[in-house]
Order: sequence, then structure tokens, then C-alpha cells
Amino acid sequence: MAMERKLSEMDYDEEGTVTEIEEYLRRRVAGMGIRVGKKLRVVTKQPIKGPVDVIVDGAETSLGLDMAEKITVEVA
Amino acid sequence: MKILLMGHPNVGKSVFFNRLTGANVTESNYPGTTVDYTKGWMKIDGKDVELVDVPGTFSLDPKDKAEEVAVAMLHENRGALVISVIDASKIERGLYLALEIIEEGYPLVIALNMRDVAEDKNILIDADKLERILDIPVVSTVAISGEGIKELVSRVKEAKPVDVDDIISNATKAADVGAAGDVP
Amino acid sequence: MKLSAEERWDLIDRISKETVTFGAYRHTLTDAIGELTIKPLTGIPIAIAVLYGFWSLFGSFAGTLCTDGFFVKFFDGYWLPWLQQVFPGQGNWFYVIMVDAGGIESGEFVLSESSFESFGVLTSGLFLAIGVVLPAIFIFYLMLAILEDIGYMPRLAVLIDTMLHRIGLHGYAIVPTILSLGCNVPGVAATRILETKKQRFIMMTLLAIFIPCGAQIGIMEEVVPDLIGWIMLYLIIGYFIFGYILNKIVPGRAPEFLIDVPPYRRPLARNIGKKIYGRVTGFFKVALPFVLLGCVIVGILYQMGVIQWLGGVLAPIFVGWFGVPPETAGPLVAAFLRKDLAVAQLSTIEMTEYQMITSVVLVSIYFPCVATFAMMLKEGWKDLLWALAVLAVVVFVYGGLIHLIGILLGVA
Ligand SMILES: Nc1nc2c(ncn2[C@@H]2O[C@H](COP(=O)(O)OP(=O)(O)O)[C@@H](O)[C@H]2O)c(=O)[nH]1
Ligand SMILES: [Mg+2]
Repeated sequence: MAMERKLSEMDYDEEGTVTEIEEYLRRRVAGMGIRVGKKLRVVTKQPIKGPVDVIVDGAETSLGLDMAEKITVEVA
Repeated sequence: MKILLMGHPNVGKSVFFNRLTGANVTESNYPGTTVDYTKGWMKIDGKDVELVDVPGTFSLDPKDKAEEVAVAMLHENRGALVISVIDASKIERGLYLALEIIEEGYPLVIALNMRDVAEDKNILIDADKLERILDIPVVSTVAISGEGIKELVSRVKEAKPVDVDDIISNATKAADVGAAGDVP
Repeated sequence: MKLSAEERWDLIDRISKETVTFGAYRHTLTDAIGELTIKPLTGIPIAIAVLYGFWSLFGSFAGTLCTDGFFVKFFDGYWLPWLQQVFPGQGNWFYVIMVDAGGIESGEFVLSESSFESFGVLTSGLFLAIGVVLPAIFIFYLMLAILEDIGYMPRLAVLIDTMLHRIGLHGYAIVPTILSLGCNVPGVAATRILETKKQRFIMMTLLAIFIPCGAQIGIMEEVVPDLIGWIMLYLIIGYFIFGYILNKIVPGRAPEFLIDVPPYRRPLARNIGKKIYGRVTGFFKVALPFVLLGCVIVGILYQMGVIQWLGGVLAPIFVGWFGVPPETAGPLVAAFLRKDLAVAQLSTIEMTEYQMITSVVLVSIYFPCVATFAMMLKEGWKDLLWALAVLAVVVFVYGGLIHLIGILLGVA
């Protein structure tokens, strides 16, 4: 069953499809290949509010937790 | 004539630069190695041409000082030709910057670098078709082994400004042909 | 015509659909190693092991193998005694500056026994440059090039992001920091990868104050090998304390971390060789003239009595506030010109271990070397002036604090 979750709340190894990115962030993360409609997989999260590491189209990107909070993902 | 090597950070621009000019700029496997531009000279058809290794940037909308240097470099050289270096394994985001530069009216050639990496990741790119859609030279390369560099240099003279409207209609046409092809 | 960002992505999606096929994602061994080194449970211990390995290789190659094993023997056994014999005019000012300042014992001029004590341009100057600094920065740049070309730096950045976040920076600040451990000049240049003025200012200031360069570390490793761990610890603690304070008082934004993590690659020997050659020769072009010229100027100032005089004036502060012996005043003043020479000088003075730690830390945080100073000026004179103001305060406050800690621990 599909459900929506913030990227910041996803678990290790979880996969999903990006459904929403807050406006102000859209252009910056798009440069890294993270866009609405893209599939992503969470590789890892660093402890104590550290960054979230994701793979999109085979490319790995690490983004701060505050940014990850502004990205919504439909988890498969 | 002046040629700018532009692209995202860590796509192989400095490797190209060193190979083409015989210079010795630092190459490393992480974004942000090149924070200032370097100029050098190369020969194309016997003529001396200036080549610039521009710091990597994700878009023409700079987010740090190294990217500001890159964008300023482009805008200060209105008459320049651009070799857009794209990491083939991250082609979509690379095309974003290439399109931005095309839209500003610069003549462009695309080096689809890291063909080997893309292959390892099972990403297959139809470079000929891409070339037909974009209407500019697209050359697959592996900068570290030198593969495709000669072809790239020989095709630099084919670079020309393109209107995005043409690209859009080419893409539509290609899609139609593709769709028609699916029907037996 | 220009497209909006949405239209552009839309066009890219259409082009990509026609020209790109993403096959099944193959999970390779490289990917597996990539994940192991970035997941905190395995990645943090690996990072510690890598940094520790870096550090111990640095010490054993540069200090033990090259400097002690070869250069000390050569310079002290052959070069210094030979020069002392053949160089004309023993005891006159030119001889003193070029070869050996020696010492006066019961009214007699006596020759120095080692290249650490002679302070001549051709002896201490060359020995420090070639015998100590060269092996240190060679091994540093060799290991750095390997880490860089493999692609480890971005992973280190991800792992350390949380800590650097507390001081207004983010993980990527590890890149200028590590580059500065080789030489502050490229380190300062690399601050350009940080997004805001605030971040660049904090970074540049911290680098100039708290990060000793490869040359300095090499010399510390040589003359105070037992204390260098404590010295580095005080510098790292200072980096974080004052980073935290700067983050609170410097206005501006501290945006978050967003970086690409490239796949691991096999480093190419040719590229590594080229990089080491470029960086080592670059370092020597910048640093060697300064080392030698610095020796000359320090020598002349000693001859003229300027350093002794300044030292005398400042000694009460050094003794009272920092808790170091009055003899350190001379080297501490000379440190404005040559930190490496000053560290070597300090090592020859009688004092307690804690005083030695304090005085070497002071030399390190004192004043950026001339080349770094010039690089910072290039990045903007206003920031440079502010950085120097911060530096003055930090030297005074942190120097006093270290003294206080010593008093509380009962060692100072
Ligand atoms: N496998 C592979 N690696 C490449 C290729 N081109 C460049 N590299 C490596 O990619 C990294 C980045 O190259 P660099 O020229 O510094 O990138 P720049 O930031 O665009 O200047 C280096 O480690 C290069 O050795 C290629 O075609 N294939
Ligand atoms: Mg580069």
C-alpha cells in the first residue's frame, strides 16, 4: 500500500517516488537530479540530525535534514 | 576564438583541459576542485585557440562563489563557443545546464563524458538521436583514456547556436517517429 | 527564446525518453563499499581509522624515516661541520646569519652542534626546508591525492556534517580544512565552495588561526614529537569553540548541506604523480623563498637586538598571561615572520612540557604566514581586517584559557 512521507522520515533502504518539493528548494535540488516524479532510494541517514543520503537515477546525493523535511515521497 | 569548457562539478572538465592544452590543472574525484578558471591554448586545424577550464556549476543561477566565477566567465565572453561536458551517467541534469547555455545563444558541442561509468550502471544513450534532436554535435567520450577526444575536437567547428523551439519540435518529431515505429 | 525551469525539465524528460534507457540498477562491489563507508555504524569507525592511518603514516614516514633516518645525520654529521670549517669569517655578522649563530660560553664563541640550534640560512634554513618540510609535505600530498582520487572526501564530508553544522559551516568545510593542513593558501582558495559570505568568513578565519600547515606540523613532529598530540588537540578544540562563537556573532545565513557523492574510482598513478609534483613544487616556489628570507630577517633582527628588545617589552605579558618562560619572548616575536623557525627555537629552550605545549599552540595561532596573508587579501581586505581582529582576540583569550586550564590541572 502506498503512503506519503517526508524524505526526512524515511528509513534506510526505503524506496519511493517524489511527489512534492517545496517551491524555494525545487531549483536547487533539481540540479542534483531530485525532481517530482523521480524514484529514489534512501541509502542512509546520519545520526543527530545529520544529512540524508539518497540515490536518484544511479547518482548519490547527500542533503541536509531541513531540506529533506521539505520533500514528500510516496513510499512504495 | 575562445572555447569554454563548462559543466557540472566533477564531470571531467579538467581532464579534458589537461589533455587538450598539455596543462597541469588539478583533477580530483570530488566536486569543487576547480574554484577559479585557468586559460590555456590548443590547436584546431593548425590554428591557436584559447581554451578555458571553468569551475563547475549546476546552473546559470549561481549558489556559491566558484559558481559565480563560472557564470561571470560565460557572460563576459559573449562570442565564445562552449564545450558542454556532461557526465553520461547523470545525463538529465547535465542537459539542464546545456539547455540554459543554448538558450542564451551560445554555439555548443556536447561531450558525453564518462561513457564507461554510464555503461557500468546500465545506462544506454543513443548519442546519434540526441544529436539529431539537439541539432548540435554530441560526442561520447572517456576523458581519462582519451577516447572520443579527437572526434570532439574535429567537430568543434560544427557548433552553432540553436533555437530551443527547434529542439522542442525535433523532440516531438522524434517521439512521433518512435511511436509510429512501435506500430507494426 | 528562454524556457522556465519547469518547461526546461519537461523538455529534458521528453528528450531523455527518446534517447536514454536506464537498465536494471546493478549493485556492484564499489557501490557496496560506498555504502559501508557512508553508513554511520560502519562509516564512522572507518573514517577514524583512515584519519588515524593518515596521521601515523605521516609521522613515521616524514619524521622517523626521512628526517631522523637521513637528513639529521646528513646535516648534522656532514653539512654543518663542513660549513663551519670552510665558511670564512667565523663569528662575524655574515657568518652568523648564513651559518651559525653559535653561543657564547664564558666569553668564547662556541659552535652549534646541530642544525636546530645554529639558525643560519644555509644550515637551519636549508635543513628545515629540505630535511623536515619536504618529506612532510611530500607524504601529506601523496596520501591526500589518493583520498581525493578515490573519492573519499565527499563521504568524509557527509559523516562530519553534523559537527560542522554546529559552527555555522557544513560538511563540505572539511575540504578547505584538510587542504589547509597541507598549505593554507589553497585552503583559503577552496573556501569559495561555501555558499555564503558568513560561511566563507568563518572558514577563512578558522583556517588562518587554527590549522597549522604541513610544514609546521612536520617541524612539530620533529622537535616536539611527544607533545604534538596535545598541541593538535588544543588547536582542534579551539577551532570548534571559536567556530561556535563566530557562528553566533557573525551575521548572515548558514545554508544546509547539499552535495553530490561521486562513485569510488580507482586512482590513476599518473594523475597522483602529477598532483604531488605540482603541489610540492608549488609549495616550494611559495614557501622556500619565505623560509630562507625569513631566516635572514630574523637573523638580522637578532643581530640588531630588535627581537631581544621587543621580547623584553612583551615578556611580562607572555609570562604573566600565558604562563610561558621569559626566554620564549624572542621566538614568539620571531614567529611573526617564521613559525617553523620559531617552533625549532622554542624546542631548544628549557621549560615544562605544559609551557612547551602552550608556546607552540601560541605560535600556531599567532599570525597567518605571509603567503596566506596575501591570499586572504586577494579574497577581500575587509574580511582580512576582521579576521585579524578576531585573531588578536583569540590569541589573547585562548592563550589565557590554556594557561588557566594548566593552573586548574596543576601543571602550569
Ligand atoms: N571513469 C571515468 N572517470 C573519469 C572520466 N573523466 C574524468 N574522470 C574522473 O573524474 C574525476 C573528475 O574529473 P575532473 O576533471 O577533476 O572534473 P571537473 O571537476 O569537471 O574538472 C577525476 O577523478 C577523473 O579522473 C571518464 O571518462 N571516465
Ligand atoms: Mg576541474
